[in-house]
Amino acid sequence: MRRQSPFQFILIASLILVLALFLGLLSGAVDIHPSKLLGLFSLSNMDMDHRILQTIRLPRVLLAALAGACLASCGAIMQGLFRNPLADPSLIGVSSGASVGASCVIFFGGASLVGSGVGLPAITIGAFVGGLVATSVVYRLATSSTGTSVSTMLLAGIAITALAGATTSLFSFFADNEMLRRISLWQMGNLDGADWSRVATLALVVVPLMLVLPREGQALNAMLLGESEARHLGVAVERLKRRLILLTALGVGVAVAVSGVVAFVGLIVPHLVRLLIGPDHRYLIPGSAILGAALLLLADTAARTLMSPAELPTGVLTALLGAPFFVGLLLQQRQKRVG
Amino acid sequence: MLEARQLSLSISEFALLQNIDLQINPGKVTAILGPNGAGKTSLLRLLTGESLPSSGEVIFNGVPLSQWQPKQRAKILSVLPQGSQLNFPFTAREVVMMGRIPHATGLVKDADIVDAALNAVGGSYLDKRFYTQMSGGEKQRVQLARVLAQIWETDVSGDRFLILDEPTSAFDLAHQQLTLKIVRDFACQGVGVLMVIHDLNLAAGCADQLVVLNCGQIAAQGTPEAVLTTTMIQEVFNVDASIGVHPKTGSPLVIV
Repeated sequence: MRRQSPFQFILIASLILVLALFLGLLSGAVDIHPSKLLGLFSLSNMDMDHRILQTIRLPRVLLAALAGACLASCGAIMQGLFRNPLADPSLIGVSSGASVGASCVIFFGGASLVGSGVGLPAITIGAFVGGLVATSVVYRLATSSTGTSVSTMLLAGIAITALAGATTSLFSFFADNEMLRRISLWQMGNLDGADWSRVATLALVVVPLMLVLPREGQALNAMLLGESEARHLGVAVERLKRRLILLTALGVGVAVAVSGVVAFVGLIVPHLVRLLIGPDHRYLIPGSAILGAALLLLADTAARTLMSPAELPTGVLTALLGAPFFVGLLLQQRQKRVG
Repeated sequence: MLEARQLSLSISEFALLQNIDLQINPGKVTAILGPNGAGKTSLLRLLTGESLPSSGEVIFNGVPLSQWQPKQRAKILSVLPQGSQLNFPFTAREVVMMGRIPHATGLVKDADIVDAALNAVGGSYLDKRFYTQMSGGEKQRVQLARVLAQIWETDVSGDRFLILDEPTSAFDLAHQQLTLKIVRDFACQGVGVLMVIHDLNLAAGCADQLVVLNCGQIAAQGTPEAVLTTTMIQEVFNVDASIGVHPKTGSPLVIV
């Protein structure tokens, strides 16, 4: 397969991201005329469209872009760390742990939380804590005096994911109808709770992450050769693994906490970018971040507009659109290899 | 100098290596021989800091190996492990370029070194090819070029060392000879070379010093002439062999 130049790709992906931002801002249950964007931040001019833009649309598109960037670049990191192009950020248990945390809060918080204003932040915090706890258990299980074994971590991740899945099911089993609906909606992944405080929370984690992660590119490239090869190239392998797992757990943890489990972005986007520009992590990580932001934003815009005024859960849409696209990509690749 | 002092390694009370004393000198080629399970790879892992000895120590250029900063060490010690797990579609050039990770010599110089290293292993034609689509021998040549690129420059502080674990295992006759020639050329530049090799005759033709391991202990050590005897081969490898003389080079020739 011929490769695209990484710089060209990043340029094109950035253009798509900018277009997706505008599309996301302008379309929805109420379509807004592009001219309204000009006065977006003027306080004097407060008609209905501006209020929609400021309090609903802008936080929502920013949240989608940040979550997409975060999930996709963490996916790239995990695929490098596990030396497996099919790895996914959820492998280290963070998403399933977050599900337990969120359903636990929904279950025990019950009716008292609903509509009281503290409900959503409480669920977010519960999900974040759940994700971090699950990841730290997986990490502990895989770490011995001789270091962290990536293959043990994979197995521990599977075990913890299964355990967390069962726990979430237990909560769902004992939950009443209203709770059950909220638990399942949360698990589908949804950006409909977007507000400025969530954007700020996510940005606080994602922006530093985006600045730090590309610096690990060269070391991750060496890791693809094998752990001992990386060590012989002067990479402090154990420290690198610990740092990357911590960063991924933080990044995915907070993304999942504010948006629920948005499927597929972390798996597909880095895979796609690798097919286009090759596996060099110095370009793969920023490329994945930009494309991930654009794709989640487009998917979320589609989720809002397809059945407007009703909204589909974003996570359902990413999987619905992502899976066939991915299969198409695989088929195309196979054909090229044969032909 | 890379030096092993009284190295022992035991894992769950099973002794893999016992009291190994060994010196790898700059400018010399040392070959480790021995039957399967003799402890060759374990010894290599200790000498490269991959695992820690149960007792004894490894001294690298006068300082205990464990006290070296990983990055500083990588500038002058490069290691080619057996086999490779790389299954991502890097090009040959990108793989060899990774050998320059420990250095900060700039893209232009690194590109020259990568060209030269690929050329040295007869792999210039692989440059833009994908690693995942290469044959076993081509992959091994690219990996060899990578470890050569890592210690390519002569103007570094400290003696350089090259450690190879069965570097010729996937090669045809011509590339076996090419590898041994590269190894000799590097030794001539003052690089200390240590390699594990199975073919006694390849070892005899290339190495200055042979070290024979058997059951975790050094069974024989010295020049090829001194080490390769019918008694040693009978005792260590359990094979009845004759020793001749190579008609061209004069080095010992093991005939089975």
